[in-house]
Amino acid sequence: MHYRRLFFVFAVLGAVTLGACRRESPEPPAPPQEQPDPGPDMDSLQRVQDSIAAAEEAARRQAELERAQADARATLEQMVFFEYDESAITPQAEQVLRQKVSILEASPNVRVRLEGHTDERGSVEYNQALGNRRAESVRAFFVQFGLSSDRFETTSYGEERPLVNRSDEAAWAQNRRVEFVITAGADQINPPSM
Amino acid sequence: MRDQRLRGAGWPWAVRVLGALLLSGAMGTTALAAQDVEERFPGVSLGITYDGRQAATLAIQPFTGRLGGENIAERVQNIIGRDLRYSNRFQVLDELPASLSADEVDYGLWDQMRADYLVTGRVEGAGTTSTLVLELHDVVYREVVDRGRFPLPNPESQDFRMAAHVAADAVVMWATGEPGIAATRIIYSQRMDDGNQDLWIVDSDGENRRRLTNHESISMSPDWSPDGRRVVYLSYRTGLPRIYELNLETGAEKMVPAPRSGDYLTPAYTPDGESVVFSIVGSGRSGLFSYNLARDCCFANISEGAYEDMSPTFSPDGSRMAFSSNRLGVGAPQIYVRPTNGGSAELLSPYAFGRPGYYTSPEWSPLGNRVAYHGRVERRGVHQILISELDQRNRIVRVTSEGVNEDPSWAPDGRHLVFVGERSWGRGLFIVDAVTGNVRTLVSGVRANVPSWSPSLAPRMAEDR
Repeated sequence: MHYRRLFFVFAVLGAVTLGACRRESPEPPAPPQEQPDPGPDMDSLQRVQDSIAAAEEAARRQAELERAQADARATLEQMVFFEYDESAITPQAEQVLRQKVSILEASPNVRVRLEGHTDERGSVEYNQALGNRRAESVRAFFVQFGLSSDRFETTSYGEERPLVNRSDEAAWAQNRRVEFVITAGADQINPPSM
Repeated sequence: MRDQRLRGAGWPWAVRVLGALLLSGAMGTTALAAQDVEERFPGVSLGITYDGRQAATLAIQPFTGRLGGENIAERVQNIIGRDLRYSNRFQVLDELPASLSADEVDYGLWDQMRADYLVTGRVEGAGTTSTLVLELHDVVYREVVDRGRFPLPNPESQDFRMAAHVAADAVVMWATGEPGIAATRIIYSQRMDDGNQDLWIVDSDGENRRRLTNHESISMSPDWSPDGRRVVYLSYRTGLPRIYELNLETGAEKMVPAPRSGDYLTPAYTPDGESVVFSIVGSGRSGLFSYNLARDCCFANISEGAYEDMSPTFSPDGSRMAFSSNRLGVGAPQIYVRPTNGGSAELLSPYAFGRPGYYTSPEWSPLGNRVAYHGRVERRGVHQILISELDQRNRIVRVTSEGVNEDPSWAPDGRHLVFVGERSWGRGLFIVDAVTGNVRTLVSGVRANVPSWSPSLAPRMAEDR
C-alpha cells in the first residue's frame, strides 16, 4: 500500500519536474505563432485548488444544512394517526410529535395549522368536531412542551378529504390523522439544536 | 278540507278503532291512551296507522286540452300523477276503464274500478297564458270535492314543473286536509372527485337537478330559511369553515362574522327565519351561538362547555330546541332537548342497558311532534334513521333498514324524510315515508351529503306571479 502511494507521489513529482525541465531547455528558433507553454504556476495552482476545496466544503456544509432543513421540514409535516373515534395521542404519534417539538423550539418563527381528519364511518357533521378535537389534542401536546399556543391554528375537514379513497381498515387507519401545514416561517425552519 | 276518507261509510271508523287498538298494543298501554292519540292528531288520527293497503284509491282521468293546451295536458298530468304517487297518501290506479269518453265524468265507470277519488284536469291555452283547471271528485258520493285554476308558465321555463307540483299539492290538501310535498326542493352538497364540494338543488321528484354554488372549496350543511328564499350553509372558501347565507333569488351572499376562533359548523335558522344558530368547535371550549341575520348583529352564546354541542334544531314555535352533544364524555354524541331560553337539557335518544349509543343530526318535525335523527346500530359506521315520537312518550321508530342511512331532513308534511343512503351499488339521496315505510330514490350515483328539505314553495310561486 505504502509503496504504491509513494510510487504515485514520485510519479506525479516526476511529471511536474519533466514539465519544468522542458520549459528551461533552449529552444530552436520557431515560428512566432508557437508561443512557449507557460506551464502550471505552482502557487496559483495551489490557490485554485484551495479555493475549490473551500468552495466544495462550503457547498457540502450548505447541502448538509439544506438537507437537515429539508429533513426538519419533512418531520414537521409528517402526519400523525389516531385510533377509531379517538382523539388521544398514540405512542407512535408521540414519537413523531416529540421530534416536531425540538424543531419548533429551534424555529421560533414557524407557525403551523393543524388540520384534523377522520375516517368515513362516523356521521359527517360530528366527524368535523372529531377532526377538530384531534387537532386540539396535538396543540395541547405542543403547549405542554412549552410551545406557545398561538403558534398553532386548528381546523377540521372531518371525513371530507380522505388520504386513501377506499373503505377498508387500512384506508380508515390512514384517514384518521392530523396534517401539519406550515403557515409562516417556512424559510426559517432550523434543525433541532444538539 | 276533509278527513282522509276511505271507501264505504263504515270503513273510516273500523280503521280508526283498529288503528287505536294496534297503537295501544304497541305502546303497552290502555285504550285511554289511544284516545289521547286521537285528540292529539285532530283529523289526522289515521296518520300513523294506515298503510298502502288502507289508503284511499285515487284515479286520474286523462287530462284534456283546449285552445292549444292539448300539447301540454299530458305533460302536466304525468307530473301530477307521479306527485300523487309520491305523496304516499293514495293508491293511484294505473288502469283506465275500457269504455272511457274523454270529456265527461262517468262516476259509475270509476265506481266499478273501485276508485274513491277521481282527478280530472283540463289545460286551456298555450304558451305563456295557459291555465290548468283541476277538479277532485268523490266517486262514492258522486260530487266535486274541490276545484281550482292554476296558471301555467311557458312549458320551457324552469317554473313549469313547479306550477304543476303546486296543483298536485292542492289535490292532496283537498283530499286529506294536509299539505303535500310536491312543490318543494331539496338542497344538499355533492363531493366531486377532486375533493371539492358544492351545494346542489333538486325538485322533490328528482327533476331539475342543478348546481347552486361553485367555490372550488367545500360547501356543505345547508338549511333552508322558513320563507324558502334563502339558505345558510358552511364553506371552507377562506381556508376555515365559516357560515354563509345565500339569497336564492338574487345570488347575494353574506358571511356570518367570526369574532371567535374555531370551526363554525351545522348552521340552522330559527323558526322566525331572522337568526342563524350554529356550533363553534375548537380551543377546548365549544358551544352553540346565534347571530341575527336580519339585523346583522347580536352575536350571542346559547351553550358552552368542554364538549361539542352541534346540529341545533327548533320546535316549530321556537320554544324548545334539540341538538347533539357528547357531554356524557363517552366519545360519542347523543340527542338532547332543552328550552330555547335556557334550562336543563334532557336526553332524548335511547340510553338502553347502560349504553348511551351514538346518535346525531337531529331535525325537529315541522308538525312539532317528532324529532328525526340517525343512530348507530349493530356496528361501527352502520347508521339508520330513527324518529322519537314526542307525543308517544318518546317512543322510537326506526324507518330505514337497508344499507347505511344518515342525516334526515323533514318534508313540510312532517311524514316524509330525505336522507343520505349508502347501498351496495352506490350512494345517493333517498326519501322515506315514515307512515308507510315506502322508500324511493331521489338522486343516485353521487356522493351526496347532509340534505335540507325546503318548506312548501307554493306561496312563493303565487307571490312571484
